[in-house]
Amino acid sequence: MAISIVPCVHNSMPPIASSPSLPHPKGHSKHILRRQRWTAIRCSTSERANEMNYYAMPLMTSTPSLAHHNDHNKYISRILVGRKQTAIRCSAGERANEMNYYELLGVSADSNAQEIKAAYRMLQKKFHPDIAGQEGHEYTLRLNEAYRVLMREDRRKQYDTYSGGMRVRFGNFGTGLGYSSWNGPLRPQALFVDGNACIGCRECVHNASNTFTMDDTLGRARVKVQYGDNDQKIQVSVESCPVNCIYWVEKEELEVLEYLMQPLPKKGYGVFGGGWEIPANVFMAAKAFTKQLKRQEQDKKYGAETVEETPAQAEARANATMKIQREKFYGVWNWVKQVFSDRLGIPTTSFS
Amino acid sequence: MQIMAEPIYTVASDSETTGEDRTTSTFPEIAVGIDIGTSQCSIAVWNGSLVELLKNTRDQKIMRSYVTFKDDTPSGGVSNELSHEYDMLSGAAIFNMKRLIGRVDTDPVVHACKSLPFLVQTLDIGVRPFVAALVNNVWRSTTPEEVLAIFMVELKMMAEYQLKRPIRNVVLTIPVSFSRFQLTRVERACAMAGFQVRLMPEPTAVALLYAQQQQQAAHDSMGSGSEKIALIFNMGAGYCDAAVSAIGGGVSQIRALAGSPIGGEDLLQNTMKYLLPNSESIFSHRGIDEIRRMGLLRVATQDAIHKLSFQSSVEINVSLGNGSKLCKVLSREEFEMVNSKVFEKCENLVKQCLHDARVGIEDLSDVVVVGGCSYIPKIRKLLMEISKKKALYEGIDPLEAAVSGAALEGAIASGIGDPFGSLDLLSIQATPLAIGIRADGNSFIPIIPKNTTMPARKELVFTTVQDNQSEALIVVYEGEETRAEENHLLGYFKIIGIPPAPKGVPEITICMDIDSSNMLRVLAGAALPGAQHPATPYMEVKMPTVDDGHGWCAEALHGKYGATMELVTLRKKS
Repeated sequence: MAISIVPCVHNSMPPIASSPSLPHPKGHSKHILRRQRWTAIRCSTSERANEMNYYAMPLMTSTPSLAHHNDHNKYISRILVGRKQTAIRCSAGERANEMNYYELLGVSADSNAQEIKAAYRMLQKKFHPDIAGQEGHEYTLRLNEAYRVLMREDRRKQYDTYSGGMRVRFGNFGTGLGYSSWNGPLRPQALFVDGNACIGCRECVHNASNTFTMDDTLGRARVKVQYGDNDQKIQVSVESCPVNCIYWVEKEELEVLEYLMQPLPKKGYGVFGGGWEIPANVFMAAKAFTKQLKRQEQDKKYGAETVEETPAQAEARANATMKIQREKFYGVWNWVKQVFSDRLGIPTTSFS
Repeated sequence: MQIMAEPIYTVASDSETTGEDRTTSTFPEIAVGIDIGTSQCSIAVWNGSLVELLKNTRDQKIMRSYVTFKDDTPSGGVSNELSHEYDMLSGAAIFNMKRLIGRVDTDPVVHACKSLPFLVQTLDIGVRPFVAALVNNVWRSTTPEEVLAIFMVELKMMAEYQLKRPIRNVVLTIPVSFSRFQLTRVERACAMAGFQVRLMPEPTAVALLYAQQQQQAAHDSMGSGSEKIALIFNMGAGYCDAAVSAIGGGVSQIRALAGSPIGGEDLLQNTMKYLLPNSESIFSHRGIDEIRRMGLLRVATQDAIHKLSFQSSVEINVSLGNGSKLCKVLSREEFEMVNSKVFEKCENLVKQCLHDARVGIEDLSDVVVVGGCSYIPKIRKLLMEISKKKALYEGIDPLEAAVSGAALEGAIASGIGDPFGSLDLLSIQATPLAIGIRADGNSFIPIIPKNTTMPARKELVFTTVQDNQSEALIVVYEGEETRAEENHLLGYFKIIGIPPAPKGVPEITICMDIDSSNMLRVLAGAALPGAQHPATPYMEVKMPTVDDGHGWCAEALHGKYGATMELVTLRKKS
């Protein structure tokens, strides 16, 4: 997937190739060196991306010239229609676009301004179009956007809230599945209320009102803002719970747990079944859910290679799957939104 | 493309710019840096270990920017030697071309040039001014582009002779306030001179040089070198620029830019008017004798201003011919009083820049003041007052700063490295002016705001103002004014085939993309909400598209189409 806006055919070889009579052998070899260094960086980044199940960054592809014309229209529509179609057009560039800003900069979600700056500068020095050539254009655009957001405290906070603190990526659901937002920097541990055990005593809401809130529909407490109050208040409220249903969980687990704590549609068989349910043991359910997602991811990864199909078929199939999943998800989402949004102020993320 | 990249421009080509070539960001050879100022110019190159300014045959590093027309062969200040300063003021020499290039005859800056010894004629209708040099008692017409090109050819020949290699790639410094239309004119002049050019705003070049010095200092002290925020102020004869840059690890990241066409030329003209209040009426009909007298006054005033940088008052004693004589003692206070408006503008520019950069004066590590006007005590005082600093940064030669920075950028963009890490640098640029379209009536709606880090891409969604409106006019402007027509027009195109729908329903997405070589592309598409595909193919337009007489276009468009093809903002998308 060539990501380059320049319609003229670019010389994908290093520029030295175009002038063999260059009178500067020193500059010559130096240039190759720079290119090699760049390649090395590519590899390491791709390994990192691999771990995250995101292979594609715009720079990983090395076909700036030929593929370009075929993809030009698609590309334009992508930049014009933007995120609207991310779920449908899952091209290489899109996935890079889905990488969150922290991943893009290669910093942890709780890194400070100094670390972000340093990472930004380091990456710019490698990928800025002045150094890496036109191929660096797309990547640098993303980098600039990430930097713009993360360097301003207000924008960063908004981004963190919007993206559910840290984006634990599972399946095709990009964001917004987590319920609670974060106050201040991300910490390794997060608060989680096991709603099945909660008796609705309001003790925690009373002790730490900025952190906990009452879900009146379900008659249970839940975490509204992670670390919304100071540590002492939170400690008191955790200890005050008569049934000990407030847990410290790893922040990576949080999003799945919170997602499963919401009522989900039950599979129906004919006239039986259906309706809504919450898993009885949310921790077990989370484990199973995560496992299932991993398997799905792998199926998608390896499955596509074994089945022979034309690109058009593949796209059609991908579109259909995506649509089904989206609709399913929308059902839940809209319901959840209806129930909670006005009272509890869920960030009204729009997925359309 | 490889073949395309080869043609050598030797003559003026009338096709627009060198467009395609410009996008090749990695030069195959070390690019030289050129700074052509309103009054002085210089050329520098990375010689493998440091930046070196090239000298002409008269051993000058800094040369005067002018071209003299004599008989059939024009010659510039690089090779030519004036027998006397007055020769430059005989009407045969054209200078100050940087203030004229790409400006129309309604521009106040052009009008200010009318008191110069050569001919600048205006018709005040928004077309290019008529510029002519006096050759054998005949006003012979020329253009600022031509003058600039002749000048650059001379620089090119000089450098090629000294470096013993052909020079095609240059980094040319430009004022911050230049509009994109002016940049195309500069590019055209470069193409005429056979250069493939990369343009760099002057203060950003200075910032790069500062970044190199800071990195060097960090290396020497074995420290990592913390981040520094520098305020760069550059004031030459024609333009005044300010920039705030965050510098760390050899990266200069421009936080804000501000520029204005004020400079030493304004100081000079104000002072001339003060010394001889009726000068304008005396020189209005431009006889040969008047031109000579004006030249005498100009030289005397210039000399006096230079002296006032080092002494508190100066005695002016000049004979203006016809037996009239000007004798006056000019004090520094008088000079500062006469030019108080200029200094006020400088102050506002700096404050604006600091504000835009969201930088408090306590965050400033250094204040770098460069350019010809940096010697003026009032300017130095002003900068020290604003920044609450007791001293300005000393490590940079004010007259060589911009060209040295340009030479560094040339070396970096050529992809060469340096074993000592002296070239481990990067300059991250920002847009000096906002770019947007006319919408919501006669408003200018910025799509890429001012001081956006480049490369940049932003989009906005607009919608129609009429039911079943099928066409919309996209008029692209650059500037900061709220009313569209007060900004620089860059171009216009029509988007057709908007699906029929009530007003306010169709979504017209306008996307703007600036790459690192400062190429601007505008993309537009129309669709109904929720549609997967646009109704018609997208349009992609490289800007600017306007040519001479662009002052008329916007009015003409408005007169012809009125509100039938207008747009309003729908919402912000990203």
